[in-house]
Amino acid sequence: MAEEKPRVIIVDDEKGLRMGTKRLLESEGYIVDTAENGTEGIALGTTGDYDMAIIDLKMPDIDGIEVLRNIKEKMPNTVCFIATAYASYETAIEATKLGAASYIPKPFTPDELINHLQEGYEKRKLILDSERLRKEREERLLEIATEKSRLNTIVNSIADGVLVTNLMGELVLFNPASMKYFELSNSIIGEYILDFLPASVKDIILKVLNNKESSKSFSAEIELKPNRELVVDVTCSPVPQPDGSLIGVVTVITNITELKRLEYVKSQFVSMVAHELKTPVAAVLGFLRIILDQNISTTPEQENDYLSRSEKRLQALVEMVNDLLDISRMEMKTKQREIKDIDIPEVVKSNLDFLELELQKRGIKVIYTAEENLPMVKADSGEVNRIFTNIISNAMKYNKDNGTITASVKKSGNYIVCAIKDTGIGMRPQDKEKLFQEFYRIKNDKTRNIPGTGLGLSIVKRLIESYSGKIEVNSEYGEGSEFIVYLPYKK
Amino acid sequence: METKKILLVDDDLDLLEQNKILLEAKGYTVVTADNMKGAMETFQREKPDAAVLDLIMEEHDAGFILAHKIKKDPYGKTIPVFLLTSATYVTGMKFSAETSEEREWINVDGWFNKPIPVDELAEKLETFFKNRK
Repeated sequence: MAEEKPRVIIVDDEKGLRMGTKRLLESEGYIVDTAENGTEGIALGTTGDYDMAIIDLKMPDIDGIEVLRNIKEKMPNTVCFIATAYASYETAIEATKLGAASYIPKPFTPDELINHLQEGYEKRKLILDSERLRKEREERLLEIATEKSRLNTIVNSIADGVLVTNLMGELVLFNPASMKYFELSNSIIGEYILDFLPASVKDIILKVLNNKESSKSFSAEIELKPNRELVVDVTCSPVPQPDGSLIGVVTVITNITELKRLEYVKSQFVSMVAHELKTPVAAVLGFLRIILDQNISTTPEQENDYLSRSEKRLQALVEMVNDLLDISRMEMKTKQREIKDIDIPEVVKSNLDFLELELQKRGIKVIYTAEENLPMVKADSGEVNRIFTNIISNAMKYNKDNGTITASVKKSGNYIVCAIKDTGIGMRPQDKEKLFQEFYRIKNDKTRNIPGTGLGLSIVKRLIESYSGKIEVNSEYGEGSEFIVYLPYKK
Repeated sequence: METKKILLVDDDLDLLEQNKILLEAKGYTVVTADNMKGAMETFQREKPDAAVLDLIMEEHDAGFILAHKIKKDPYGKTIPVFLLTSATYVTGMKFSAETSEEREWINVDGWFNKPIPVDELAEKLETFFKNRK
């Protein structure tokens, strides 16, 4: 006997035969249990997983047929033999009907028994094999079913649209997102779909279909709703069979609206920068050309005037480039910060002191108040200084002569709040809205001679927000403006 | 040949002065304004033979509005109006005149990029004055 020893149960009321058979089989490598009557036979045979059972037909308590029925019911894979001296055709038929493998007439020789059992064991192995295969197949089917539904669930949950078409352009698979993008509501599997898709999508699907040899994907950016409201990237890839031939096209639709918007904002910004750089350069170039032009006569005074005006334009240009570099450093977060405890009242006061001479010259009065013992703000001192230099110098630049600047610092909630109020020219609501945009400068007769790059407040806002603070503006046209800076303090 | 009078409008005072000098060197009389209101007043008073307007001034599309007003005026519609632009986009501006359609819609006689190519402008003006005679 090979690897595993066959397990046999012998149910026989005749002790000599029971024990003799047991010894014989054990010597042949079987594991043998015995039962001395039907009751015990049922008890053992229905609980132990025996390969084979040899059941005596005639027993005093329960007859062998009944034992067979019980065992087969519980253990259908146990190969059972009915052994009896009272052989009859009917009993044999009944026994096989109930699932007995064979009928062993008594008395039997050891060889006869062993032959029977060897055949029976082969049969048992076949039964177990097919049982195992059946189980595996069932498990596999279950797995496939689970896999399919899992795949469906995944495809349906993808935010990108997924749509598969066959060579005829019929719908093979799709998810709700794809239907949403293409505004289709009642498409069904098997339906010819190409004509219901945007023309440009149909075009690239056909491109893939007509490009049968290659595994190349094609994509296109498609504006599904105008004015950048909905822009998608549509990528169509061939679906190959195992032999490499094309059986369909999978189309993936990705929403790239946000990306396109950013791209647009970026190119707008570049365009603005170009314009802002070009104007002063053009002005300087113009002056130089006039001075150099032989056909235009200029006096030395005129030339001096043109040169000093050129210098001013170039100075402003350099400031603007510096501001732009600062913005770019902020955006790329390359600037090293030195975070320290900053006393905001001190920063505000020192900025006001710095401008004292100029303020006096213009007759501007300063009213400054600060609460006592305010907590410190953790920040880079250079950056905080820049915030207040900008706001306070604006309050001076845009103020009227003999006006007032009111500066106050206090604690409110989690913030140190600093309000800088001027009595200057103020802003119209439409200007207030755009105040923090890059290069936005309020242009009117009153602001014409006030220098500036148009980047200062944009930088201020970025800086404040980088410290999780905020800036608010109140303004009344012709009356003045108030800038309120909130910077969180460390508790 | 009588001297032609050109209305030049730009809110950049440096550029305004330079272009005035350059156009005067070409033999034109130049009257200037640096804002929309002043430009309309100068236009009405001086009755120029042509107008050269910066597109972007204090109200961002002031040049366009100005061109529109001049072209609606009974006298203004008889003179050539040119727009100057150096930007394809400026913050807050609603329109950019980037495409030819947009330029066509703004019914002017020509567009120039800043700084003004004075020779080219003078050539255009001369063709215009010749054809009108």
